[in-house]
Amino acid sequence: MRIQIRQTWNHLFTVFSSMSVVLMVAALLLFLVPMLGKGMSAVFFRGTVEFRKMQHDLYGLGSESTLQKEIAATQAARDDIYAIFDRFSRGIDTDLLAGEAKRLYRDHGDELRYQNVPKDEYTALRKQAKGIRNHLMDAFESVDKAEIFEHLDAVEAFKSDASLKGTSVEKLIAMAADYRNIAETVDFSKRADYAEELDAVEEELFRLFGPRPGVERALAMESYGATRWDVVQKHLHQLVWQESWVLSEDGQQMVQKQVRRDDPKEGSFAGTQLAPMFALVEETVSETLRPRRTFYWRYFVQDSTPGHYFGGVGPEILGTLLLTVLAMCFAVPLGVISAAYLVEYAGENWVIKIIRVCINTLAGVPSIVYGLFGLAFFVEYVTAKQKCITSASMTLALLVLPVIIRASEEAIRAVPRTYREAAMGLGAGKFRTFATVTLPAAGPGILTGIILSLSRAAGETAPILFAGAVALGPIPDFAGKWWFQPTRALSYGCHDITVGDKLAMMVPHNQYGMVMTLILLVLCLNIVAIVIRSRMSKKLRGY
Amino acid sequence: MANITADKEKTAAAGFNRPLRLTVTEDLRGFIAVKVGHSLLFLTTFVSVVAVFLIFFFVIKEAIPFLFKGGLSEFWARMSEFSTSLNWYPHNEEHPEFGALTIFVASLYVTVCSLLIAVPVGLLAAIFLSDIAPFGLRQVCKPVIEILAAIPSVAYGVFAVMVVAPWMQNKLGFSTGTNVLNASLILSLMALPTIISVAEDALSAIGREIREASYGLGATRAETMIKVVLPAAHSGIIAAVILGMMRAIGETMVVWMASGQSAQIPSPWWDLSQSVRTMTGTIAQEMGEVAKDTDPYYVLFAIGVVLLIFTFILNMISEFFMSRFKKTVRGH
Repeated sequence: MRIQIRQTWNHLFTVFSSMSVVLMVAALLLFLVPMLGKGMSAVFFRGTVEFRKMQHDLYGLGSESTLQKEIAATQAARDDIYAIFDRFSRGIDTDLLAGEAKRLYRDHGDELRYQNVPKDEYTALRKQAKGIRNHLMDAFESVDKAEIFEHLDAVEAFKSDASLKGTSVEKLIAMAADYRNIAETVDFSKRADYAEELDAVEEELFRLFGPRPGVERALAMESYGATRWDVVQKHLHQLVWQESWVLSEDGQQMVQKQVRRDDPKEGSFAGTQLAPMFALVEETVSETLRPRRTFYWRYFVQDSTPGHYFGGVGPEILGTLLLTVLAMCFAVPLGVISAAYLVEYAGENWVIKIIRVCINTLAGVPSIVYGLFGLAFFVEYVTAKQKCITSASMTLALLVLPVIIRASEEAIRAVPRTYREAAMGLGAGKFRTFATVTLPAAGPGILTGIILSLSRAAGETAPILFAGAVALGPIPDFAGKWWFQPTRALSYGCHDITVGDKLAMMVPHNQYGMVMTLILLVLCLNIVAIVIRSRMSKKLRGY
Repeated sequence: MANITADKEKTAAAGFNRPLRLTVTEDLRGFIAVKVGHSLLFLTTFVSVVAVFLIFFFVIKEAIPFLFKGGLSEFWARMSEFSTSLNWYPHNEEHPEFGALTIFVASLYVTVCSLLIAVPVGLLAAIFLSDIAPFGLRQVCKPVIEILAAIPSVAYGVFAVMVVAPWMQNKLGFSTGTNVLNASLILSLMALPTIISVAEDALSAIGREIREASYGLGATRAETMIKVVLPAAHSGIIAAVILGMMRAIGETMVVWMASGQSAQIPSPWWDLSQSVRTMTGTIAQEMGEVAKDTDPYYVLFAIGVVLLIFTFILNMISEFFMSRFKKTVRGH
């Protein structure tokens, strides 16, 4: 019995131990899968015609003629949608119509003066036109259908008047006929509601198709519609469906419910002239936006518009490479020489002990304290109060120094004694032995350490926060003193794009895309290191 | 190729033909070269020591104006406010307050919570890897741990903000997704690799004989591990836990992004769904906002000094346990 209990405990222990490893692997997957999966959508997606337009306008890519053809084709399809929309919005937003009526009335006066009509006739004609205009304006302002039709009837009574043919007044009368059509379908008591909903619809149309032709927007992010199919789907959904709060079935609480805008019963545009537009947009969306599978490899090269709304992470990658490579230039010679000294030359005295304690301390200093030190020392005294690439990479170099020292020390120690003894037996001195035999043999190990610290330096954010990384800024100018300029970096960019930048929050694919780039960079470096090491261990075992 | 070897033989032969005794100048030159080279190497190595001293010097130097502004009495007042007051309003124009206790407590919260998760899981995983897993599985798990350690902290931070936080808010019903629990979960994930690798080294360093003796007495594997191997390796395991703790307390990006940045102590104390603000997070957050050479600027360096001293002490403790462990292992 007792043995059974002990056995059970033993099994439980085994299960729990293996569970913990499974848990760890699961956590890694739980992290990697969404980050890389969603990040991939920044590179692989279905790009619409707006995407190609954006690439052409901002980066000069793609051929002008095919793009123009494509835009013309989509514009034809879009025109139908806009026609329905404009027609309906004229009935709701009558200010426009009223303005047009006033303009026509003024044109009429100009026409008459241009024709040199005698004064009496002029006054009579103007009076008549004014009457027509006033009727029209009253019709536009009114919300009572009977009243509107009364006014419109009054206007249309002049229809048969031959003397008005070819003048602006005729256009006024045509407007009345037009407005009669609209007024028949619109429920004027709901005009305010319609106006509000119409604004939402117009906004979504803008998000889908971008600004109407002829309208110029100052910001790049407002100049293009939905560039990606997932964004199209999102805005299409927001266009067609409206959210409303209704009482739940038990009548206790309000629940959110989604209704189609053109739903015959509950939709806000039920039975109006606008209702067919929603179905039309849905049906023609592949014509109006022309999605096409896109492999956007330029994401890793291109610069971005403010807030990473469009474009890629090119400058960030460049900045990270500059920072890390420069940091390695500082740290590798120092680290390898230190390691060589510690292994080959140093005895075990108190000075060496202090050095070892200091290296361990250096490894334990929190990264944010490195940031503070970089600010207080490198920025202040080394780079003349300038937050720049040099100060940031020096801080990073200090951070990875202990990593390089430890890895190199281990690699040099791992070289078998026999190598050294053989070299010395051939008459080589201590230095020559090290430089020609030990160092090459330890080379792969040192290289592994360097690659790992490269990946560490690429991922660290806190040390460069105050020492030279910026969220927005120009690409380092290689013609000038680029080492005295601040730079963007992937790691700091990842932070800024997730919690700092309000614009970036509207483009989650770009947020994930940048993180994916950083993770991929680090993972690749690590995999290279792992491969080198496994080869090396095989080689060492072989001897 | 043949040519070069021939050349080398020639020069080597020429060297051997010379008399072995060196002239005085040659001797002196060699002596100087060795000495100079030696001291150059030493100086290069000494850079690490200089760096540590510079770090301590400059971080403390920037913190001093905050501490020693007035006389001694004011120093004591400032110190007691800094270490005991709960009011952190450094940006108040008229009456700034620098009570950093909430910040220290928050760091403690996050660190302890993450260790509560990471230590059991890490120890069990280390036991699994050192004693239970077959060789092949171990070879697979090693890279997984390495990748876990290699992923940049900012990427973990993004994960915390964009995946974990919405999940906590929507599925668990927390009022805010960025809170102690979120930060601790992610931090434990980051401390795991350190704990596992150091603990596994410690467990593997304990020799086979001890285990076999235990099995010979009829103990099961669980009993052997818990009653024999773990006590034998306890110094190494303590060192592993302390190293994990250092990782957690010094971590900036995850804590900054995931802990919610509000200077408060959770109340009731066990409510982990509240936002806090740690030492590292405070420095990272406010250093970008403060003007140079003002009190809010200096006080951030004061927090940095606390952090530095804290990790230094932890480092010393872990070194002590490590060296003790090495002695124990050598003793066997």
